[in-house]
Amino acid sequence: MKQQELAIRTLHAGIEGKEILKGVSMTVKPGEIHAIMGPNGSGKSTLAYALMGHPSYKSQIPMTKSQTNPKFKKSKESSNNPGSIVVNGIEVINLSPEERAKAGLFLALQSPVAVPGVTIINLLRSAYQSLYGESGKRVMNTPHNPLLAGKWRADGLSLPAFLSKVKEEAGFLKLDESFLSRGIHDGFSGGEKKKAEMLQALVLRPKYAVFDEIDTGLDVDALKIVANGVRRLVQTGTGVIVVTHYMRILKYLKPDTVHVLVSGKIVDTGGVELSRDIEKKGYKRYLTQHAQVYVTSALMYRYISAGRKTVGNI
Amino acid sequence: MTTTQPIMDTAYKYGFHKPENYVFKSKRGLDEDVVRDISWRKNEPEWMRDMRLRSLEIFRKKPLPLWGADLSHINFDDIYYYIKPTREKAESWAALPPEIRDTYDRIGIPEAEKKFLSGVSAQYESEVVYKSIQGLLEKKGVIFLDMDSALREHPDIIRQYFGTIIPPMDNKFAALNTSVWSGGSFVYVPAGVSVELPLQAYFRINAANMGQFERTLIIAEEGSFVHYVEGCTAPVYSTDSLHSAVVEIIVKRGARVRYTTIQNWSTNVYNLVTKRTRVEEEGIMEWVDGNLGSKVTMKYPSVYLMGRKARGEVLSIAYAGAGQHQDAGGKAIHAASETSSRIISKSISRGGGRTSYRGLVEVVPGATGVKSNVVCDALLLDPLSRSDTYPTMNIREKQVAVEHEATVSKIGDEQLFYLESRGIGKAEAQSMIVNGFIEPIVKELPLEYAVEMNRLIQLQMEGSVG
Repeated sequence: MKQQELAIRTLHAGIEGKEILKGVSMTVKPGEIHAIMGPNGSGKSTLAYALMGHPSYKSQIPMTKSQTNPKFKKSKESSNNPGSIVVNGIEVINLSPEERAKAGLFLALQSPVAVPGVTIINLLRSAYQSLYGESGKRVMNTPHNPLLAGKWRADGLSLPAFLSKVKEEAGFLKLDESFLSRGIHDGFSGGEKKKAEMLQALVLRPKYAVFDEIDTGLDVDALKIVANGVRRLVQTGTGVIVVTHYMRILKYLKPDTVHVLVSGKIVDTGGVELSRDIEKKGYKRYLTQHAQVYVTSALMYRYISAGRKTVGNI
Repeated sequence: MTTTQPIMDTAYKYGFHKPENYVFKSKRGLDEDVVRDISWRKNEPEWMRDMRLRSLEIFRKKPLPLWGADLSHINFDDIYYYIKPTREKAESWAALPPEIRDTYDRIGIPEAEKKFLSGVSAQYESEVVYKSIQGLLEKKGVIFLDMDSALREHPDIIRQYFGTIIPPMDNKFAALNTSVWSGGSFVYVPAGVSVELPLQAYFRINAANMGQFERTLIIAEEGSFVHYVEGCTAPVYSTDSLHSAVVEIIVKRGARVRYTTIQNWSTNVYNLVTKRTRVEEEGIMEWVDGNLGSKVTMKYPSVYLMGRKARGEVLSIAYAGAGQHQDAGGKAIHAASETSSRIISKSISRGGGRTSYRGLVEVVPGATGVKSNVVCDALLLDPLSRSDTYPTMNIREKQVAVEHEATVSKIGDEQLFYLESRGIGKAEAQSMIVNGFIEPIVKELPLEYAVEMNRLIQLQMEGSVG
């Protein structure tokens, strides 16, 4: 039997040629809650996007100077290996977001984009069928076609059965049924966005779900509901990564493991006591240790490129 | 993964055609003899024949429009202006010739009819050959006929209204249509009568180089309501085909008319249509206009708001793929106080296709308290495609509220990533985004048209993603 875990190993990722994640490793087992904490700009969101395979946050290290010019010294950090992400035995590092979702990953975005006219229920219908429908028996998702809707079947569910399942989960999140017919994130309040993301996680039942800043912009009631959602997921065996800056959600959730991410690296890992410690003292001690190094190297890099432009390589 | 279908398969799925089986076909090209012949064969009253001949003169004198799409490739001498497909009009489905029935089967008429339609008047070639009108309509005094029959059976009403909303001198193509028109629908709704189910007509062209010149006239008497729906599909031919219809609608006091069109001509057709409504006091006119096919479309459904508190609405969707130019929009002329109008245009361009929004909002002096809202949104699916907006505002009164918004967007990478991260494939994600974009208008369509619209977008997207 394959290893039942999400294994992230020396994951590198960046955006627009700038390396942000510098070798992140962690292991999440089914039913566990991991919290990733860190100051602004530490690479938390990059980690979330890189896990899901966002094209702009390539796990692949961009072409470095060392590749274009062999004279340029290759730093040890910028190894050409993007690392690996293994979902229950399946390597997904080179897979598209669609294939990663099919492998069992889910990402709840911090500021999800609106897709006007695509209703939540329609999105869920399509996604659920993609994930659980029998291949070759897929019906086209034409929202207005009652005839095709009759043929819809995924994971043994007919469309009406699926719809009542969705309504049940919506009810759990205290979402009105009419909410399901709204265009996804189109004019949603902050709280509605978070709940819409949580609803998708609950319906789509991923093996591992990443929640990026799910606790920002929520009032206490909404925060409790979202935390209940995470617990509900965990009970069904989903491994959860909660990425958080303010740690508000950790009042209502007890993570099994807490990781501290600073300057693209996990600098500390511990139990829930670690998060309490950070809540009291902040990230200061990590920043002095690591941010200094980061700033220096970034500055150095700028000098090096400036030098190359004007006088060539040293 | 989505299987990629060859583009020709998906580009025009109704691109089949049946062997031609006609009773009569006029000679190619247009002259006085052709016009006289059309009128003679239809056994028309003298006034109509004279009107046709007068219109032919106007057509000859009028230049092609100097604005809009490129029409220089139309060869007016290479077109058949009149084709009569079968001997008699069929009263029932079974009486239709098998090959025509087969064609309709492929479009899906009988099925659609069973489920949704109350009355069908389907046009094959230039003549209505199949219609089934519910007795209900007759009981209510509603007239729903093809225009040729209407001229024979109700010549007085036709003479009273024909060409009053769009006279032949309006434009070159109105003149052409008036001179050679054939088929189209006539709808008369008596005062206070509400026609609950949409009246539907399917149109079809099936001969190379044949012109299709329907003439439709709808009269809604005071306080009445009717929804008229037409949908078109045509087979693909290599030489250019011309479709030039005229639709005149009169909405009397307190009446409401909705006119829905889904146009899906094959991509060799020039579709040049004049549609106009006169709306009287407290009347409501709604145009719902979808332009998917054709090589070139020029169509700007108009509302002339002539009475106090009259309201007009134009909802328009245009899709332009490779080699297509959809020049569409709407016009609202506010000639009375407290009139209101809304024009919503959604256009999609893909594969080098071009969409243009062209619109006019005019407020005449003295028309106070006018409200108008124009929204045109364009979606570009790739960098090859193009979208333009040509809005004209001619506001000659101060006390008005006129709004215009226009947006152009591309299918966002973030939207695609979002849907893909839920496990949805790229082609399906794209079609969901496009269908979502046009949803505000699609939801106004009758059900089977909405389904068809979603499916067409889906097929197009599957063809576009490798």
